Amino acid sequence: MFKLDRKSLVSISIITAVLVGFTAQADTTSATSKTYTSGPNKGKLVIDGGVTYPVKNNKTSSYYVNSDAQKGGYSYGRTPTPTELEAWSRSVTPKTPPPEGHGTVSDGSELYDSKCAMCHGDFGSGGSGYPSLAKGNAYDGVKSLKNQRTSDTADGPNRVFGTYWPQASTLWWYIKEGMPHPAPKSLTDDQVYALVAYILNINEMKIDGEVVGDSYDLDRAKFLKIVMPNKDGFVPKIDGPKGLDNTRAFFNNPKNIGAKTSKARCMNNCIKGETKVTRIKIETKDFLPPLSIVRDLPVKDKNANSGNAAKATYDATCSMCHGADGMGAPVVGNKAAWEKVTSKGMDAVYHNAINGINGMPPKGGTDLADTDLKAVVDYMISLSK
Amino acid sequence: MNDNNSQKNLQSSSNDTQNTLARRDFFRKSAALSATALAGTSIFAGTQAMADDPAIVNNVPWGIKFGDPVTKNLYGMPSEYEHNNTRRNAELLSSGNWYASIAMCPIQESEGIITPNGLFFSRAHGGIAQVDPNQFRLMIHGLVEKPIVLTLDQLKRYPSETRIHFIECPANGGPEWRGPQFNSVQFAKGMMSCAQWTGVYIKTILKDLGLKPNARWMLAEGSDNSEMGRTVPIDKVLDDAMIVWGQNGEALRPEQGYPVRLLLPGWEGNLCVKWLKRLEFSDEPFYAKEETAKYTALKPDGTAVQHFYVNEVNSIITSPCPEKPWTDLKKGDLVEIEGLAWSGNGTITGVDITFDGGRNWTEASLKGLVLPKAWTRFSFMYKYEGKPLIIGSRAMDDAGRMQPTIDEEVAVMGIESVYHRNSVATWEVTANGEVNNVQVRS
Repeated sequence: MFKLDRKSLVSISIITAVLVGFTAQADTTSATSKTYTSGPNKGKLVIDGGVTYPVKNNKTSSYYVNSDAQKGGYSYGRTPTPTELEAWSRSVTPKTPPPEGHGTVSDGSELYDSKCAMCHGDFGSGGSGYPSLAKGNAYDGVKSLKNQRTSDTADGPNRVFGTYWPQASTLWWYIKEGMPHPAPKSLTDDQVYALVAYILNINEMKIDGEVVGDSYDLDRAKFLKIVMPNKDGFVPKIDGPKGLDNTRAFFNNPKNIGAKTSKARCMNNCIKGETKVTRIKIETKDFLPPLSIVRDLPVKDKNANSGNAAKATYDATCSMCHGADGMGAPVVGNKAAWEKVTSKGMDAVYHNAINGINGMPPKGGTDLADTDLKAVVDYMISLSK
Repeated sequence: MNDNNSQKNLQSSSNDTQNTLARRDFFRKSAALSATALAGTSIFAGTQAMADDPAIVNNVPWGIKFGDPVTKNLYGMPSEYEHNNTRRNAELLSSGNWYASIAMCPIQESEGIITPNGLFFSRAHGGIAQVDPNQFRLMIHGLVEKPIVLTLDQLKRYPSETRIHFIECPANGGPEWRGPQFNSVQFAKGMMSCAQWTGVYIKTILKDLGLKPNARWMLAEGSDNSEMGRTVPIDKVLDDAMIVWGQNGEALRPEQGYPVRLLLPGWEGNLCVKWLKRLEFSDEPFYAKEETAKYTALKPDGTAVQHFYVNEVNSIITSPCPEKPWTDLKKGDLVEIEGLAWSGNGTITGVDITFDGGRNWTEASLKGLVLPKAWTRFSFMYKYEGKPLIIGSRAMDDAGRMQPTIDEEVAVMGIESVYHRNSVATWEVTANGEVNNVQVRS
């Protein structure tokens, strides 16, 4: 009885498998398209040069779909209020200018030294992995974009704001919503204008023929006249009504991006002449944690249980400057650097931590109570003995 | 009450000191025995006179006492022995600190085509935001007839779709334009992962919002420290773009944009904006901050490719690899060469393998599920002969594209492009089975 049942089950499932196999294969081959098959772009090539998988027989590629679900008819959510729309519509683009305001290069320079230089370096020189903001004269720097570091001594291209970016609006928007890195969205519009003016200044740029000198006062009208030196350096051309079609044409031509088609597939003797095998010259292996595929028990971290508030604050906030070389701040763990700091006495150390010193803002930009801040200082010193 | 007490007793009976002692003892014994076992194997052929394996003939410590109660680890964790299967960082790949940085996926340990949520590669521009789902709002506005704002619960009321897709940072392999740099597959190719995503097609939502005819671009913006934003062409929005909240059967991890991220299947990970807060439709592109010096590919003629959306067809052999060499093999062993292939342009149709640095190629088998814009496994059975090899893989997709050689790609893109490097990758296998990252040029 059982045997019989199982036998018939097996034979049924074989038949089903064969049928499904055929159907699936037929579906997949017929429902792949190089052009869009519905919507406003129907008949146009897929924009990235790839394919699309239209729904056919309630399937898209290998996935079944409930076509009824995609017909719409949903009324979830609500209309945002004008204030809400305004609060979140803060994009600054070539088409959507920044709000009114102004700021001078010298104000920007002062702001930069107190809020930006600790990461981006003096005069936007960069450092420790943080981006440079200027590399001399922007108009000259555009030429460097053809540089290729084919030898160890060759200079690379300078991809900084002045030499590379296509639009100034991006800088204004970036600073306003993303900077300073530890405290974004904290600058006023005037402060943003001042910082933009300063960055134009260190890139030795001009607006409407006028050099952005130390006393230059940048306002919205002047800002809108900025022409970036490399504004035409980008492909495909994405602006205007033809933007999408330009993009589509560009990525559907493999030659534009060093792509290859499978028509060029070669199986034997594909390389004429000798080959050169390049091995690793200077190996990068500062991996955290170190590479290993060993299956053993982890070594217990001695500091794992010292997870107090001071450690948490240090990890979240202070380590950004005090955890890495090149930031100008004494690095935690560097005994000599901290001996120098503490040589003036702990009162002086606490005083500086609370009021700020050099590139460090008051309380390191935190809003900790004095006693909590002192605990963080103690924690950092305890790791540096 | 009684239950609680007995649990405590059970746990304290297996205290750490005893464990450590027992383990140390066990390892010492087994080390001695396995040395004998090894010597035995080399002297006597076959099974005769082999030392007995203590892992078989002795009781194992976990077999003679209680394990953990099922009340422990209510959200499960991997075995402690798996601690080396983990994401890893390198200062070289950071923009100055660990907030604007990346954690690489250990693809040398990946099984199948799904990356576990705790191992999914993680890239942030201002730290991993910890979003309160109750304060999550998604605003869809701009060139639509009917702008809306949705709470998380409202968003999840839309009919859901579940898809398996990889996400890859376009800088995957980017540090190696000028030559090999990492002797590690995790660092050479680990800026990617693959998961099963659940969410809603944006085109489904737009059905009721009324997209205006001049809407050509969509800004997707995150709510994190960096307010990461990117411009997306309307073509993709109306094709397969999704707003996702589910990752491998649970909520997105914070590293993946909890509670909601954009998913543009096959396109740059950076475009798949995390901690999503708004979608704005416009007739002109937005020139967001990651569309400038970053995420553009500079060519030798000084022009740069912008809006370089798609992660093109690509592949990598993950076994063997520098982390998982063939040093344990002996001549004549039959061994599987395995790897991953993927294409943001479509579905993988085939993978070829070379043993001589690309001069000659042999077709490998695909295995498992083969899905659009998803990791695809390939496999090739190889008889190990203990001789030096330069092995590599070359994938093709149903858009008709295949991986170029390094020479072919560099001829067009130069070596300063940073992004979108998809040329054939090769490993050198030495005579003793070690595996090194090399590049072949002609």
